[in-house]
Amino acid sequence: MHRLRPYTWLLGILAVLALIPALAACGGDDDDGGGDETTTSTIAATTTGTATAASATTAAPSPTPAKIGGSMILATTTSTQDSGLLDVLVPMFKEQTGIDVKVIAVGTGAALEMGAKGDADAVLVHAPASEKKYVDAGDLVGGKLVMHNDYVLVGPTSDPAKAKDAKDLKSALTAIAATGPFISRGDDSGTHKKELETWQAAGIALTDVKSREESGQGMGATLNIADQKSGYTLTDRGTYLSLKKNLKLEVVFQGEKSLLNIYSVYVVSPEKHTAVKKAQAEAFVAFMVAPDTQKLIGEFKKAEYGESLFIPDAGKTIEQLGN
Amino acid sequence: MDAIWEGLREAIRLIASGDAQLREIALRTVLVSGGATLLAMAVGVPLGYGLARTRFPGRTLILGAVNTGMGVPPVVVGLVVWLMLVRSGPFGPMELIYTKRAMVIAQFVIATPLVVGFTAAAIQALPREFPDLLTVLRAGPLTRFWLTVREAQLGIMVAVMAGFGAVVSEVGASMTVGGNINGQTRVITTAIVTETARGETAGAMALGIILLAITFAVTLLLTALQQRRAR
Amino acid sequence: MDVRFDGVSVRRSGREVLHGATVQFAPGRVTALLGPNGAGKTTMLRLIAGLERATAGQVLIGDTPVRAGTTSPHVAYAFQSAVFLAGSLANNLELALRFRSVPPAERATRVREAAAATGIAELLGRDARRLSGGEAQRANLARALAMRAPVTLLDEPLSGLDAPGRRQLLHELPALLRAFGTTAIVVTHDRDEALRLADALVVLLDGKVRAQGPRAEVFGSPPNAATARFLGYTLLPGEGGELIGVAPRALRPGPGEVELEMQVDDVLDLGVRAEAWGTVRGVPVSVSLRAGERAEGAIVVSAARAAVTRFRE
Repeated sequence: MHRLRPYTWLLGILAVLALIPALAACGGDDDDGGGDETTTSTIAATTTGTATAASATTAAPSPTPAKIGGSMILATTTSTQDSGLLDVLVPMFKEQTGIDVKVIAVGTGAALEMGAKGDADAVLVHAPASEKKYVDAGDLVGGKLVMHNDYVLVGPTSDPAKAKDAKDLKSALTAIAATGPFISRGDDSGTHKKELETWQAAGIALTDVKSREESGQGMGATLNIADQKSGYTLTDRGTYLSLKKNLKLEVVFQGEKSLLNIYSVYVVSPEKHTAVKKAQAEAFVAFMVAPDTQKLIGEFKKAEYGESLFIPDAGKTIEQLGN
Repeated sequence: MDAIWEGLREAIRLIASGDAQLREIALRTVLVSGGATLLAMAVGVPLGYGLARTRFPGRTLILGAVNTGMGVPPVVVGLVVWLMLVRSGPFGPMELIYTKRAMVIAQFVIATPLVVGFTAAAIQALPREFPDLLTVLRAGPLTRFWLTVREAQLGIMVAVMAGFGAVVSEVGASMTVGGNINGQTRVITTAIVTETARGETAGAMALGIILLAITFAVTLLLTALQQRRAR
Repeated sequence: MDVRFDGVSVRRSGREVLHGATVQFAPGRVTALLGPNGAGKTTMLRLIAGLERATAGQVLIGDTPVRAGTTSPHVAYAFQSAVFLAGSLANNLELALRFRSVPPAERATRVREAAAATGIAELLGRDARRLSGGEAQRANLARALAMRAPVTLLDEPLSGLDAPGRRQLLHELPALLRAFGTTAIVVTHDRDEALRLADALVVLLDGKVRAQGPRAEVFGSPPNAATARFLGYTLLPGEGGELIGVAPRALRPGPGEVELEMQVDDVLDLGVRAEAWGTVRGVPVSVSLRAGERAEGAIVVSAARAAVTRFRE
């Protein structure tokens, strides 16, 4: 008589979904809501256990931040994220300080804007001219030069423009403009801005560049497009090297001073934006220029590609670079 | 073509070896999208029921809004949720942005109109006499709701499948509000974007296959249930 | 239990589907609610069950006015189309009792009884939504009967049945309803069905209650020409705008209590008898002639006085 089982399937779904958090817990997936009390206290509880190890690895001169915990938002560029460097540095930073870094990769413009609105705690970008405006406006403070890599012009192996033979950047660009195609980022990123500056410096109007297209995407995607279309593009060396094995593109011009790609890290002004996590952000800036970190940056992927992706620059000034 | 075969081979190798990161991303995807779907059900099924079973001024307006909601691009939802949750937004102090919770919220917003719309349609497709029958049987309000949902369960399972399918395969909103943070908010779809950008097509393919497997498994499970019920 | 309509009107999208109905349904008896399709019969049942809202007047069950949106616990209602919930037939019958807070032990007994009475005892374990049309109709009836409500509403309970099933239920249903002692209101559009099922008749025409009372009273002397016509009466023009209603099959050839003149048009020889077709006062009629009996031109036809009612419209 009592065989009425109305909600069995609903109960089934509920049971399955109820299992999920349990599974997630097993998976050690413990990030959510970083910065809330529970996370912080867990880390605080483990502080004593790992403090010795942390201080051992980061021993000596640089001011080693104590375990701070919590979380912070780092606004950076897609090219930085695509290089994979932060995948190494962020866990290391977490190990040393207990701070969770939420890396948000957007275009340079958007990253700086996040800083200006106080939507991020620290900013890691590579567009010195643009950065200056935000520093002057007081949105970004405590800036430190971290490292540089450089931009290179890449193109198909056949090099129809003979850009490899060019003696300077201007003649290389002139040759490419005449043959095309050229793939531009077109996404208001640092690389895109650099490309526009470069054409302007060479005195070439964009309309005079044969088959110039804008991908509107990140560097990796843009390189893929250039590869597919046998075109030229301006790329940071890091992204190019990391993707090189999948591309039939070669470096056709490099080395000129104006092609340097200089990375700086900033704290978003805690005075202007009260929600900014000052301690965490300052710890991150300190970490990025700490000797151990700098050493690691210089060695990043060196073995794999046979050359450094990034040249550590802590303590230098922009003027000293590329000379 | 070579790239595709190589990608497939690598995908199978990665899946077979039970790559820890892959497993973690897949688990997170199910957690986030499953949670969002569950919430969307909890809210959407009663709402759909209310919409199907009551007459009030402005009902057509709401139905229209729901049907529009079914077509709003996830990226737009992501943008709006981002503007709400971002630190300079109205809910900034809650520090939800770039967390799984933020992704659940965005996916919930995407899935709910689907659940509401499909549920209302399923309930309205019941026999015309059905609500009267429940009145005559003197079923209480809660019993009415459960009995109606039970009668419309096949249609409501379609609603759940549609909701889960929409959010698990969605990339725009997850990317915007979750930030695609490695180890925290990276789900299968956003990971595919990253892997592709990095030229790691094999990894991207592996993730794509897992995503397909998850959606297929969930749909299969629900379809099997549905067919057993419909027998 | 007493069911009363007190000047009840229902207006639906500008049309008056029920017009000031004042009706008293006889307690403990079977009343047929008779009328053509669209007369408002189902609307009246729905009003009693609280499924419809009256725009004027009120419906009372006992002394309690019906509240729209809620069915009184005293009312059981079998819709014209048999709708069931997912699950076995037994579950469906039991569910209604559960919602009416019948104790579990009694539910089983009542379900068995109602199923036995309607001849579906062997179907109780079947999926309620896989029953044939006739089975479902009986199950629909069983569900209403199992409630043992003081008021039982049946909407076209014999529709959807095959001829033998219909004949059987037509025979059994009145006894069944009387045995349950409920005030039964049965909606039907069929005059013979109404006469066979019910003790009392309520005739509903075009949203208006045109007659009500014991079966013999309403059928024997309809209060108005419209009712008489619906019940099958032949209406003839009389003097001074008067109408003469002759009960169905009451007209015979030859002299009698009420005599009329018939113009015969045709005679059809059917062997055992002949059928004469023609007009009385311009109204088409037919009378049966005994075998061999002849009729031509104008003949005298008559009816018993009891079978004739005069109306002033």
